[in-house]
Amino acid sequence: MLVTWKYRPRNTFIQRLDPRTSFIFMACIILALSILEIWDYRIVLPLFLLSLTLFLMARIEWKDIRRALIFIFILVVFIVGLNGLLSGRGGPSSVIDPNSPVLFNVWMVPVTVSKAWFAINQIVRMLTMALLAIPIPYTIDPNIYGTTFKRMGVSDKVSFTMDLAFRFLPTFARDLTITMDAQRARGYEMDKLKGGLIAKIRRLAPLIIPVTMQSTVTGEEVIDAMDLRAFGTAPRTWLKKLKYAPRDYFIIGLGVAIFIICCVLKWGFGIGGFIVPDFFLKAVTG
Amino acid sequence: MNDKTTWEFGTRQVVYGAIGAALYGVFSWATNIFPLPAAGNISFRPAVAVLIFFGVAYGPWVGLLAGLIGNTIGDALTGWGLYWNWSVGSGLMGMVPGLIMASLNDFKARPEIIKAVGWGTLGIVVGMLFASLTEMFTGGIDLSTAIVGYFTPAVIGNVVVTAILLPILMIAFAGVAARRGR
Repeated sequence: MLVTWKYRPRNTFIQRLDPRTSFIFMACIILALSILEIWDYRIVLPLFLLSLTLFLMARIEWKDIRRALIFIFILVVFIVGLNGLLSGRGGPSSVIDPNSPVLFNVWMVPVTVSKAWFAINQIVRMLTMALLAIPIPYTIDPNIYGTTFKRMGVSDKVSFTMDLAFRFLPTFARDLTITMDAQRARGYEMDKLKGGLIAKIRRLAPLIIPVTMQSTVTGEEVIDAMDLRAFGTAPRTWLKKLKYAPRDYFIIGLGVAIFIICCVLKWGFGIGGFIVPDFFLKAVTG
Repeated sequence: MNDKTTWEFGTRQVVYGAIGAALYGVFSWATNIFPLPAAGNISFRPAVAVLIFFGVAYGPWVGLLAGLIGNTIGDALTGWGLYWNWSVGSGLMGMVPGLIMASLNDFKARPEIIKAVGWGTLGIVVGMLFASLTEMFTGGIDLSTAIVGYFTPAVIGNVVVTAILLPILMIAFAGVAARRGR
């Protein structure tokens, strides 16, 4: 069992971006869609296409991302989409319009045109946000998470905790593998845990306890080493340097501009609320 | 067991926060490879018991950082993206039980174990409630979907795992701490 990061150097535009840019751009889009409660397809659809473009520009191989995409797709379609289609809840009250034509009934629950359009909107809206979140582990080097958060204003200690956690990971994964092998040599069957649910969970203890306890012992040694080097007595310097390039300013500017435009449209012109377009109404009602 | 200062944030908290986060990430990832059978959309994540143990043993900052960063690591390892609200929810799940760290003296004593499991359950409820309710804003889902589809399955799975594994972890830790002498 080998811990492998999803990150690989790919030499793409997205990967050349400063990691802070990815986080800031994603925050702008999520805030625009969620805080401002944007439901209008004329805004949601262009943002979805923009997210999709950036996602494709990351050039992540299908075999790498297939599992994540299937998981997200099932979650969005079956939990969020079906809920929107049947209940119409989760959005503005105008979705549950009593005058909206009924398309069909599911177990006595009427599925109206506005509910159907809302479900589509909801799926597209969530995918817009997910397509920005998914590429992050694939495109940002795990070694620079600590530096990234430090440069985004997080304290030295918290950033260093993050940095240290990423460094500990291969060690603990190795410890887990060694423990698993040692327990198997004693007859422990990881793949065939027998008994009821509680017994199965309890039988994970021979794996979890040794690794966790060993880590607490390791921790004391690391604390001693860090204290001897006077950790935390003065501001830290960071080995990795991050520097914004023109492309970063462009992407951050784009994200901020999208957020401001959404604010102006929503609060200045009242555009962005939920509407059922005529073409959809005609298409589904004939 | 430790210096009993609940809100201190020094080298010890940084190191154990990092260790807790790495363990939470590794165990989350391992149970993705070997999923435990469950009903419906309830999943059992033994990593949660480890997270709550770190909160109980080392305090609220360690629990918060272990959950916050550990969930980010788990997402990074499995490749599911980055979802800040679930990371903050995991952080709260570790932080709340950390509030009783200073009041625990004997990790082998039954009343203290019961107290830790109780606070762990509270942490799970608070953390998962935060994550599920913020999905209403980030995902646009309604309250019933947040409660039925997200909150309830997460709480059931995590509470079962915590009730079983946290006492074992605490008793094992009491032995290790006694041998280490600090």
